[in-house]
Amino acid sequence: MQSETARVTTARESSYRVQYPNSKRRDVKVVALDSSSAKLVDEVSREHWNGAQFFTSLSFSADSEPGATGDGLKAWLKDLAGAANDLVEEVASSDFVVVVTSAGEDARAVSLIADACALHHKSLVALVVPGPETSDAEISASMTHLRPFARMLVIASGADYISAMLTALRA
Amino acid sequence: MLKKEQNDYLTQTGPGTPMGELFRCYWMPALLSEELPEPDCAPVRVKLLGERLLAFRDSEGRLGLIDEFCAHRGVSLWFARNEECGLRCPYHGWKFDVNGQCVDVPSEPAESGYAKKVKLKAYPLIEKGGVLWTYMGPPEKQPPEPEFEFCTVPLNQTFSSKRIQESNWLQAMEGGIDSSHVSFLHRGDLASDPLFKGAAGNKYNLGDLSPVFEISESDGGLLIGARRNAEDEQYYWRITPWVMPCYTGVPPRGDHPMHGHFWVPIDDESCWAWSYDYHPTRPLTDGEVAAMKDGKGIHVKYVPGTYRPLANKDNDYLMNREAQKAGRTFSGIEGIGMQDASLQESMGPICDRTKENLVGTDNGIIMARHRLMRAAKALTDKGVIPPGVNPEHHKVRQAALLLPRAAAYTEGAKEALIAKKGVRQTSV
Ligand code: FES
Ligand SMILES: [Fe+2]
Repeated sequence: MQSETARVTTARESSYRVQYPNSKRRDVKVVALDSSSAKLVDEVSREHWNGAQFFTSLSFSADSEPGATGDGLKAWLKDLAGAANDLVEEVASSDFVVVVTSAGEDARAVSLIADACALHHKSLVALVVPGPETSDAEISASMTHLRPFARMLVIASGADYISAMLTALRA
Repeated sequence: MLKKEQNDYLTQTGPGTPMGELFRCYWMPALLSEELPEPDCAPVRVKLLGERLLAFRDSEGRLGLIDEFCAHRGVSLWFARNEECGLRCPYHGWKFDVNGQCVDVPSEPAESGYAKKVKLKAYPLIEKGGVLWTYMGPPEKQPPEPEFEFCTVPLNQTFSSKRIQESNWLQAMEGGIDSSHVSFLHRGDLASDPLFKGAAGNKYNLGDLSPVFEISESDGGLLIGARRNAEDEQYYWRITPWVMPCYTGVPPRGDHPMHGHFWVPIDDESCWAWSYDYHPTRPLTDGEVAAMKDGKGIHVKYVPGTYRPLANKDNDYLMNREAQKAGRTFSGIEGIGMQDASLQESMGPICDRTKENLVGTDNGIIMARHRLMRAAKALTDKGVIPPGVNPEHHKVRQAALLLPRAAAYTEGAKEALIAKKGVRQTSV
């Protein structure tokens, strides 16, 4: 007699996979770390997304320096409509966070976002997007900067990869 | 997650499909040399990319890969007599050479030239590194021969095997770039398998179950770096190269031979999982070759006389729940190769990616799919030759090494990732 595994791995049997959803909507927060990546993120945000939210800049309150942690962490994310949102609250209500930086740009804001992620145990994916003129050294510098903070660090092939990745992650 | 159209796009490789056209840009492993051991030996049926072919070695040792079916009335030439530089169909005696050219139609006068008008489709078949390679694309676009290191080192330094996998090629290949499964699925084997054990690097794998990943594009595909914490402000890096469309390398362990795979579509519901093992600078030892032939490491034991694994879906892969409970194996299945194959086949013949839920650490898989789709589109729309066709792209090596925490692996491992003749692999 045929084994059970052999019987159930045909195309026909595969068509009986239950047709109910196996996950809920994710709340993904996508943050551009600098002004050139803000343009990319703005572009990507115009596509249709399930629950992803997009932010284009980070600002600090006067009494909070990059590097502050815990209660000392006071910073705001600006969404595309221009409204300021509390960084820690945004991270707390997310499922995971994606930061995007253009190679060679100032990506220091990542440390603050990473602190907020650490505080709420959220994972952080970092995308480095090289421009047409970017040098290897610039990519390398961005990578070195982001390395300590991200669980997954990707040199994206371009803006199209941001969309592809977010789609793949059901953002 | 992929949309249904994307999943179809990536998984269908028959003639005329975009991915099928992409695959037809490359040299691909078709058979092991051992399958055609001598002139006039038995022909072998080969199905690749949804096309049924027949491979044979003629009286002069020349290799042929031709349409499986006789041009006269369509019988399989697997029944043919391999004699005097050609295959003679046993039905009415028509004869074909390694180029598929019909050279004899006994019912017609030879002078009539009738035979010249008949030719079966044929693809080139070359021998390199114990493997017979074919190229199934347009002849005018045939690229130079493959230069993967495992097929260019002397024959006593390399060993290849293949096994049939009863699933689409993509879910098999994705396993090859999915570094995050190793610490789970294969954890039982690091300490016990003769082709893995004893490497200093193993302790980092077992000590840190949540590696951090970095992915970058290479000329021919991707480099997937996984790092784990090591002593003295260092990271232990394991770097997996993927060369488009379907070559993957497993980062090495100690001075064990280096290994990896080719995942070649047979049709949309099955593929060949090729496994190579080689050492760049020394012959494989008798013990290593014996272990490989015995199905250790990434190789498998076979149903005698076939390339079908002995543990297969018909016997539930010899599932051993006691070994699973006791932790000798994580999944209850014995051997790295079958641990992977059993799970990948369990997804069904073509994995339904509309139902998957990927996470950030799956970016290697996401990026590979993205690159494949991009390359297939550029090929179909503009005739752009895809990455991985140029043999320079083949000269990449997997590596395992310790680097200071501040170093980028793309920099720190730059030399380690290049295949260099006579230079030992970089491994811990
Ligand atoms: S945990 Fe990855 S497939 Fe189930
Ligand atoms: Fe595996």
